[in-house]
Amino acid sequence: MDAPFVTPTLDYHALAPEIVLVGALAALILYDVFSSELNKRVTAAIAQLGLLGAIVPILTLWAGDPRSMFDGAYAVDKYAIILKGLFLAAGYLVVLISVHYIGEGDYWEGEYYTLLLSSVLGMMLMASARDLISVFVALEVLSIPGYMLAAWRKRDLASGEAGVKYYLMGVFATAVLLYGMSLVYGLTGQTQLRAIADAFASGQAPKPVLSLAIVFVLVGFAFKVSAVPFHTWAPDTYEGAPTPVTAFLAVASKTAGFVALMNVVAVAFHGQTDVLRWMLVPLAAITMTVGNLIAVRQTNIIRMLAYSGVAQAGYMLCPLAVMGTFVKANDMAAADNSVRTLLVYLIIYAAMNLGGFAVVIAVARRTGSGEISSMRGMFQWAPGMMMALAIFLGGFAGIPPAGGWFGKFAIFKTTMDAGALNDGAGYFLAFLIGINSVIAAFYYVRVIWTMVSGNEGDLPQAPLKSPAALRAAVFITAVAVVAIGVVPTLVSHITDNATLIAAATGR
Amino acid sequence: MSGSGAQAAHTAMDYSDFLRQWLTVVIFGFLALGMVGFMLGVGSLLRPNPGKGGTYQGQKYLTYESGVDPAGFLWSQTQVRYYVFALLFVMFDVEAVFIFPWATELERYGTFGLIEMFVFIVLLALGLVYAWRKKVLQWL
Repeated sequence: MDAPFVTPTLDYHALAPEIVLVGALAALILYDVFSSELNKRVTAAIAQLGLLGAIVPILTLWAGDPRSMFDGAYAVDKYAIILKGLFLAAGYLVVLISVHYIGEGDYWEGEYYTLLLSSVLGMMLMASARDLISVFVALEVLSIPGYMLAAWRKRDLASGEAGVKYYLMGVFATAVLLYGMSLVYGLTGQTQLRAIADAFASGQAPKPVLSLAIVFVLVGFAFKVSAVPFHTWAPDTYEGAPTPVTAFLAVASKTAGFVALMNVVAVAFHGQTDVLRWMLVPLAAITMTVGNLIAVRQTNIIRMLAYSGVAQAGYMLCPLAVMGTFVKANDMAAADNSVRTLLVYLIIYAAMNLGGFAVVIAVARRTGSGEISSMRGMFQWAPGMMMALAIFLGGFAGIPPAGGWFGKFAIFKTTMDAGALNDGAGYFLAFLIGINSVIAAFYYVRVIWTMVSGNEGDLPQAPLKSPAALRAAVFITAVAVVAIGVVPTLVSHITDNATLIAAATGR
Repeated sequence: MSGSGAQAAHTAMDYSDFLRQWLTVVIFGFLALGMVGFMLGVGSLLRPNPGKGGTYQGQKYLTYESGVDPAGFLWSQTQVRYYVFALLFVMFDVEAVFIFPWATELERYGTFGLIEMFVFIVLLALGLVYAWRKKVLQWL
């Protein structure tokens, strides 16, 4: 009657980074509730220790063979390990830029770092999730703390608005996503991504319903990664939320959304090339163009970064959009290569964006404003920060010494490769990337110009003094961006052996 | 260019396939829109209508309290602290949802199940410790 219960084998080494993080989380909560109000700074230290401690098992896992658990539903391969490392590093940098902002504002430090760590934990689960249910659980674990963090400035109306908008759009996206997932499950009777790919490949599922399912899943994720026309929450949320939280949402949360998209699209849906193509190519094209065109008009640096983030999401969708072309040509190595391209871009994007927001926070400590005009003459009163921001914005624009050029180049090359396989959409996307890079360069360079030029009537300002943690965050990201720009093999080498489709499907 | 005929036929087949797929998506979209229109339309037919130039009934301006007639003054005080108890209750309610099915099958799960549930309860207990130290459990 009953099938005997088979004890699942737990690979504690594969789970070690998550276990370390949960341990840090528990320590953080216990310290927070048993310590006096005066010693809350320690909570930041515990969070940092936890994030750094979780790096150790990441390194040992990196040296070993790929592992997987629960019949392949939880994979710890090179792809997952790289992303886990990226999320831990991003979480660490966010803690660095939060310390003074949260501490000085008296913003419930213990709870703040607890939620931050839980969100990072969800992201790390996402990197390994190869099953619809674990993808969904990971997505919720990483999103729900984000909703609360966006509204963290409790008595500030804009922050409340940010939280509510993010929450409502997030829940709506979740509902759409779940509807699509339920269709997928109904069609295949499987939750594991690999099994879904096999069931789809057998051709049993009726194509029209299949298209519907994929459309719903993709729209759900499009909200998460703020792709046009599902991006409307992003600028308001980014502007209203506390700036460190904005950095976290714009970098870690968006990356996790892309990871979910990659896992589901590349593993479960990779055979449905025609549906993916007609969904993702227009989405990528509209997202980068609209994001860039609106960004040109922005006068607030955070809103500008938000719209530029929308445009960046458009670039990042390109490799996924053309992935189907390689699959159709039965070149699975090239299909995996387009996943790798996105991986490289995500790493570079994280460094540039976190650095950019760190400088914005440092400047806002002086000016109390996010207006671009308030950064006038920064070259005189904060030359270091100004140079750093110039590096990050140059990176976004793809100007060579900064790392962004390599990510853009890799995406451009992938789309051109797809174009060479007799796919017009590849050339079309490559063309749009070119046009958009020019538009984007205009508004990035305009900010740099504002920072360099000073007003004649301006009084000379005292040099900007930033806290050590903030300076460290800016320094680390700036060094990383320049290093990647000068020696791109740093990232391309790491991602060399990261395969998603091959590892998950064995093709 | 000898293979262009075969390729054209292939494309034609692809094209009708393409239409068939996306037609479903479009039909679904229109169905969703139609459903919204239908429900709002039925609502507008069924609800009391003041007619042209008429005024809405006074009842429409009354506060709706789950079907109960609103009583008391609108600035009356309520015990806002009930909500934290409700939240705590949800936490342990969910715990019970997981523990009961687990308890009936514990013999099959063996030591593994025991350890797993222990981990689960310890993590939940952290929430209780938090509530206790933040003085949620005290009735002021």
